[in-house]
Amino acid sequence: MTSPAAATSTTIAGAVMIEAQGVEKWYGNGYHALRGVDLTVHQGEVVVIMGPSGSGKSTFLRTFNGLEEFQHGTITVDGITLGDDLRQIDAIRREVGMVFQQFNLFPHLTVLENLTLAPIKVRQRPQHQVESQALELLERVGIHEQAHKYPGQLSGGQQQRVAIARSLCMEPRIMLFDEPTSALDPEMVQEVLEVMRELAKEGMTMVVVTHEVKFARQVASRVVLMAEGRVVEVAPPDQFFSNPQHERSKQFLGQIA
Amino acid sequence: MTRLPQGLATTPLATPLTTPWWRHRRLLPWLVQGAVGLLVLVLVAFLLGNLVRNLTNAGLLLTWSWLHNPAGFEIAETTLPFNASMPYWRGLLAGLVNTLQVVVLGLIGATALGTATGMAAFSSNGLLRGLARLYVDLIRNIPLLLQLLFWYFVVFLALPNGAAAVQLPGLVLAKSGLYLGQPQLVNDVWQAPLRMSVEFASLLTGLVVYTGAFIAEVVRGGVAAVPQGQWEAARSLGLGQALTLRRIVVPQALRVIVPALNSQYISLAKGSSLAVACGYTDLYSVAETTLNQTGRAVEVVLILLASYLVIDLVISALMNGLNRLVQLRER
Amino acid sequence: MVRQGPLRHLRRELFASRLDGLISVGLITAMAFLGLALLRWAVVQAQWAVIQANSTLLAVGRYPLDQQWRLWLLTTLLALASGLSWGLLRGLPRPDHPLRLWPRHDRIAVVLLVGLAVVLPLLLQLSLNIQMRWWCITGLLVLCRWAAGRWGQAIPRPWRRWVPVIWPLLYGAGLVLISGGLGLVRVAPSAWGGLLLTLLQASFAILLCFPLGVGLALGRRSALPLLRWGSVLYIEFIRGAPLITLLFLGQNILGFLLPGGLAPDRVWRAAWILTFFAAAYVAEAVRSGLAAIPAGQLEAARSLGLPLPQALIHVVLPQALKVALPAIVGQFISLLQDTTLLSLIGLLDLLGTARTVMANPAYLGKNAEVYLVLAVLFWCCCAALGLGSRALETRLNPNHQPAASR
Repeated sequence: MTSPAAATSTTIAGAVMIEAQGVEKWYGNGYHALRGVDLTVHQGEVVVIMGPSGSGKSTFLRTFNGLEEFQHGTITVDGITLGDDLRQIDAIRREVGMVFQQFNLFPHLTVLENLTLAPIKVRQRPQHQVESQALELLERVGIHEQAHKYPGQLSGGQQQRVAIARSLCMEPRIMLFDEPTSALDPEMVQEVLEVMRELAKEGMTMVVVTHEVKFARQVASRVVLMAEGRVVEVAPPDQFFSNPQHERSKQFLGQIA
Repeated sequence: MTRLPQGLATTPLATPLTTPWWRHRRLLPWLVQGAVGLLVLVLVAFLLGNLVRNLTNAGLLLTWSWLHNPAGFEIAETTLPFNASMPYWRGLLAGLVNTLQVVVLGLIGATALGTATGMAAFSSNGLLRGLARLYVDLIRNIPLLLQLLFWYFVVFLALPNGAAAVQLPGLVLAKSGLYLGQPQLVNDVWQAPLRMSVEFASLLTGLVVYTGAFIAEVVRGGVAAVPQGQWEAARSLGLGQALTLRRIVVPQALRVIVPALNSQYISLAKGSSLAVACGYTDLYSVAETTLNQTGRAVEVVLILLASYLVIDLVISALMNGLNRLVQLRER
Repeated sequence: MVRQGPLRHLRRELFASRLDGLISVGLITAMAFLGLALLRWAVVQAQWAVIQANSTLLAVGRYPLDQQWRLWLLTTLLALASGLSWGLLRGLPRPDHPLRLWPRHDRIAVVLLVGLAVVLPLLLQLSLNIQMRWWCITGLLVLCRWAAGRWGQAIPRPWRRWVPVIWPLLYGAGLVLISGGLGLVRVAPSAWGGLLLTLLQASFAILLCFPLGVGLALGRRSALPLLRWGSVLYIEFIRGAPLITLLFLGQNILGFLLPGGLAPDRVWRAAWILTFFAAAYVAEAVRSGLAAIPAGQLEAARSLGLPLPQALIHVVLPQALKVALPAIVGQFISLLQDTTLLSLIGLLDLLGTARTVMANPAYLGKNAEVYLVLAVLFWCCCAALGLGSRALETRLNPNHQPAASR
């Protein structure tokens, strides 16, 4: 597969994993959150979405697995078109993992149970098989010795790593990250980003909403800048950070620098 | 699972007909609601159909004209003048007034008792704190009806009459009633500007003591919800205990207390319907007598439900007004 | 904190200031006076014969004498099931917690139980035959508790998972035992009375109002407007009406609402009304629990691919019910107390039976004794439910344990 650092939008050869065209969304109160957004994500790509708060980046990410409905446009994920068919939405959710800002671990279940719940109930896999896979995953994210603790007993960074492992346990083909480090204490950000880096290295297709510039520079195949519900600029990270093309991008980079 | 080739994806709006209804994201909710609605409708139609048929057979189809017939029963104690020759509606109204009377006095009494006991939980005196706790734990775990019967049969009906009555300054407790003001014994019968029957007194006492325990918990919880830092900040500004309480703690505690009080007040109003246990004639007991005499079950139940609903709504409206007042002070 | 002697402690608690001292002295005097008066009344004046002579009536009402063995059998089965469940529960391995088969409060509970089994029958002056039955039943319970705790782990795990099922089975068996059928002589509901009727009504309503209440709470928070408004309408209508008017409705109108012959008899009507009544209050308790669960929990479950029903059952409801547990048990306690209202519509529950006893010319004026015993009985039942809920709460809260061990 293509090395992420060298990849640009034109040289990627992988199959299309996510294709969004002209996505428009209004909230119930009439707020126009997404105003015709297009994005194509190829297999093995790491796409980082940046933008000021209220730009619609999280909303856009959440449309990919049907957490947010949209009124116009099409989204196709791994060949399945998001429509009104509930079975297709469930199918997409099985193939797409999601990591939230607030971790959203299930506090009444142990770490291990958090990982095994969905594979057992949704994929109907035997318990012992799922458990051994879950322990492997926990080892990969470096917290296998906490498997029988409850989420409330872990630090924020550990919780977010468990959340990543929980998503991976469903063996997704795409991972979505919604500001995964924004709720963490500064000293815990790196341990989570490290897990994400590893994941990218293994070739996982990832869409990441984040403010972590360093992560975007190192890992992203492309950076997407969103503002006011639109995609303003899509560019490889080198180009985006050193030579942004649009006025809005320069303004944004000036603000976060 | 359908896997469409690239570029053939159609817009979600164009797909509904190709998706079966049982897994259609936007159709399914409406279908579910339609099915539930239909089910409820059929059930209601079935029940109402039976009701109309059975009432017609019994010759009791819904009418209200009987309300104007003379009641033919007496009510022992009314604020609104009433006698047996007056119509049923007047009797029901007299019952409602009796209910309102005990509810209003009960609300005042229970609030006073509850507030005092709730605040006692913060006393520096350990004994007082313990007694407040004991009162709440004791009262809340004994059924209200049992308590009402106890107050009436064991306490108030056991009071002596005449000269042997319990005499307190400005108050005499006798089996013939509670006398307030300057009670005087005339021919072995007490007389005073204000008299309360033992029936009314036991109902009122029972409701006040019972609801007071619940209100005490509400007050205690409300005051405990004010962060410790507020007390410390006020003390560091040099405010005294009383001033801190009045100007700092109480306004903040009220924001928690007032919404919770609403449901306690409503439950006191509903609890007053157990008046019959104390031999006091409230709306419910008039309604019961009316039903026994007329057989007009549906109308009587409708009147009952509507009356209590209105009482609840009035209490809620007042408390909502109070709540707005209390919450506004924040800004 | 500096350790204080008991005397110092007492002084700080009761005589911190002059005012406190005055209050304390006043309260102690009043309490001593009241306590002595009560004691004198209970020992000298009160005539407890009214309770002793009517203990069977208060317990089971007019249940036919020759069929009462069925109730004894049921009590025995209940004792066995309680002992078994209790023992197995203690034997369950818990994460981060040492396994203790006989924690202190269990030992206290056993001592209390045995003490009650010995003292109560003596106080009630039951015949030796009946006394011995109570001893045997209590003995069986304790034995079962001991054996299940000792050897419960030896039962294979898949079997143990079915143990809770004995409770619904036992409930069904209990209904058959009480009412008859399946070869047993029928005992009409009008013959059930006393504590038996009270417990039957309360348990029936508690069991059924819970699922109903959860459904209504989910309906009230549903995104579907019709379900939401339907639930709101039901809950607010029920909560707006006093229970007595609803019982009144049940006794006087239910017969008109159903085709002739389909309407249940008076006892079952009351049971259904109690159930529908309590469901509205349980729904509000559950709703407060649901409101405490962040939306992210459902989103996380859904984005893992769990369908809505499974997400609710495995993720949202376990958390919401845990939060709502004290409120729900509080409603159950109210429900138990509310069964006394049955006596106002002419049913012979514990209170209704007690009032028939007091109407008996032989026991006229024995109100205080009877009401006091009833109050103690209700207080114990309600307080036990409250204690149980608090114990369950600490047990269900996984975050309690690290805090304690830290």
